[in-house]
Amino acid sequence: MNEAAHRSLLRPRGWTAATLLAPSSLAVLAVLIGPIFLLFRYSLNRFDPTVLMVDAWSLDNYVKFFSDPFYRDVLFRTIYIGVVSTFVCLIMGFLPAYFIARTRSVKMKSILIITVILPLLMGNPVRVAGWLVLLGDRGVINSALMTTGVVSEPLTLLYTDVAVMIGTISVQLPFMIITLQSVIESISPSLEEAALGLGASHWRMFCRVLLPLSTPGIVVGTILCFMMGMNAYATPVLIGGPTFHMMAPKVYEQITKANNWPFGSAISVILMVTTLLLTIFSSWLVGRISQDRMRAATS
Amino acid sequence: MSKRTLYSPSRRQFMQTAVGAGMGLLAGTAPFAALAQPRGELVVSNWGGDWNSNVMKALETPLLEDKGIKVRRDLASAPARKSKLLAERNLPRGSVDIAHLTDADAYELQVQGVLEEIDYDRIPNAKHLLTMRGMDNKYFAPWVYSGVELIYHPEKISAPTSFKDLMNPEYKGRVGLIDQIYFNYLYAFSLVGGGTMGNIEPAFPTLLKLKEQVDPKIYPSHQQLVAAMQSDEIWISANYKARAAQWEADGLPVRGAYPAEGGIAIRFGVVIPKRAPNKDLAYHYINEMLTPQACRTLAERTYYAPAISNVTLPEAVAKQVQFSEEQQSRLHVVDFGYAAKHQPEWLEWWNKNIKV
Repeated sequence: MNEAAHRSLLRPRGWTAATLLAPSSLAVLAVLIGPIFLLFRYSLNRFDPTVLMVDAWSLDNYVKFFSDPFYRDVLFRTIYIGVVSTFVCLIMGFLPAYFIARTRSVKMKSILIITVILPLLMGNPVRVAGWLVLLGDRGVINSALMTTGVVSEPLTLLYTDVAVMIGTISVQLPFMIITLQSVIESISPSLEEAALGLGASHWRMFCRVLLPLSTPGIVVGTILCFMMGMNAYATPVLIGGPTFHMMAPKVYEQITKANNWPFGSAISVILMVTTLLLTIFSSWLVGRISQDRMRAATS
Repeated sequence: MSKRTLYSPSRRQFMQTAVGAGMGLLAGTAPFAALAQPRGELVVSNWGGDWNSNVMKALETPLLEDKGIKVRRDLASAPARKSKLLAERNLPRGSVDIAHLTDADAYELQVQGVLEEIDYDRIPNAKHLLTMRGMDNKYFAPWVYSGVELIYHPEKISAPTSFKDLMNPEYKGRVGLIDQIYFNYLYAFSLVGGGTMGNIEPAFPTLLKLKEQVDPKIYPSHQQLVAAMQSDEIWISANYKARAAQWEADGLPVRGAYPAEGGIAIRFGVVIPKRAPNKDLAYHYINEMLTPQACRTLAERTYYAPAISNVTLPEAVAKQVQFSEEQQSRLHVVDFGYAAKHQPEWLEWWNKNIKV
């Protein structure tokens, strides 16, 4: 096979490319872009409790959201949970990911990876239910504290911000560890040894070599965790309780309880756009920091 | 609407029924008589949990499934199921044959054009339905009813007498409310503030006062509220009389007390969506639902009062389930039209002012 034929096989063009791309593109268009467009269109309609949705081209739902301090707080709380939980996952996930990546025994590595992904084998609500058992007034933690006489009345652990944060982190952490581990694994240990051999401290080696080279994993892991944090539903509903308000439960509430599809659609669009913008910004920021570090390391 | 049911049969159904009944008579055995039973598959939309188990035990298993009808269950909360029915209203064919809802849910769906008007000529057992003041059954076949009253922890406080007792500063931190039934608190505190079922404006300042005075704990569901009462976390709430009776029967420290303002009536029953694929079986379901056997079993298990007159309950159950005549006369019926129009803004008010 000549070089041109080989290249065309690897990078198909024209009709071949179109034919190969068509099924997935059409599927994405049908199941993702279509509903998003529909949601956006609904968000411009007006709500009437008796007929539900009245055709209109109005920004009233967006004005209502941004002019109401309650809904602005819901958005800020959601961003806060998304950002903080992602950051904590990054900090908590790096060392286990590094440890797994550098484990030489194949058997041990498999055991460690299975241990990390084991919680993902069950649904998110099931995992959250586990936290209910732990954090409830009569849960494992309170029972232990009361039995040992540390407290006489059960502590309020459930339905608090901290409980939601813990629950969200527990859901996201395996994704961060697995993503980072796969990227760290591709970084040759000889680069770390070279840096250490040339007199760099462990911290300096980490900042100048390991961290910049791990950037692709950090970006992907951060995006994954941030999107999950922003769109969390089961955790805030079950662990946060009725008084903890986040965006995804608000979408559900507006559409199912209030039957206000236009406003529910507007909240969905705001959630999607905010997540997208913050994701683009964070990827740019992490990339920029990493580039600066690489530049500083090579200068 | 197709008229092919056991009660107004097609030629084929008539022949099946006649042959089945004839063979049953000839052989004198039940299995042949079963040939006359309607068969097929029925999709029932219902709440899950213990309510669904009780519906299965009282009605679906003995009166439908054991007689050859396949019942498929679509279980979820009422809001989720209502949204599904709404979404299906413009489709040529829906996925649900019959849906369990409250009377208020049914009213909302009826206004939105989702429901089939019920043809009571096709439901012989419906002639025993109780007539209830201010309630019509055009789109909703009631099964059981109850009313919102006070519930309290008998070892902690003496029996309350008014919804106002929920505002007693002595109970600060010990009052529990359920998010799922928030609208009932709006009705109750409307009555406390001098309002009516057709004007609940007085409820808003009264509930704000309640929040300020007792800082109520908000629980997502009935189960979490009763668990809190069991662990002495809360001492007083408002809930359905049936729930109080059920929990008392289960040995939990819960008692019911009828409020001076009167209770707030609620009925549970079924509706047939316009797009139901199997309306014949849906009608058969309602007819079986209104048999004394199904109503008695459900009342014994859930402590909701049957909506039919020809059922005799065991004395102990009847005492727990039924309202006295005087209580009945003070039972407030929701103004469904008013509620359907304002419910979205009430939910928003509740979220912003009480659930924070």
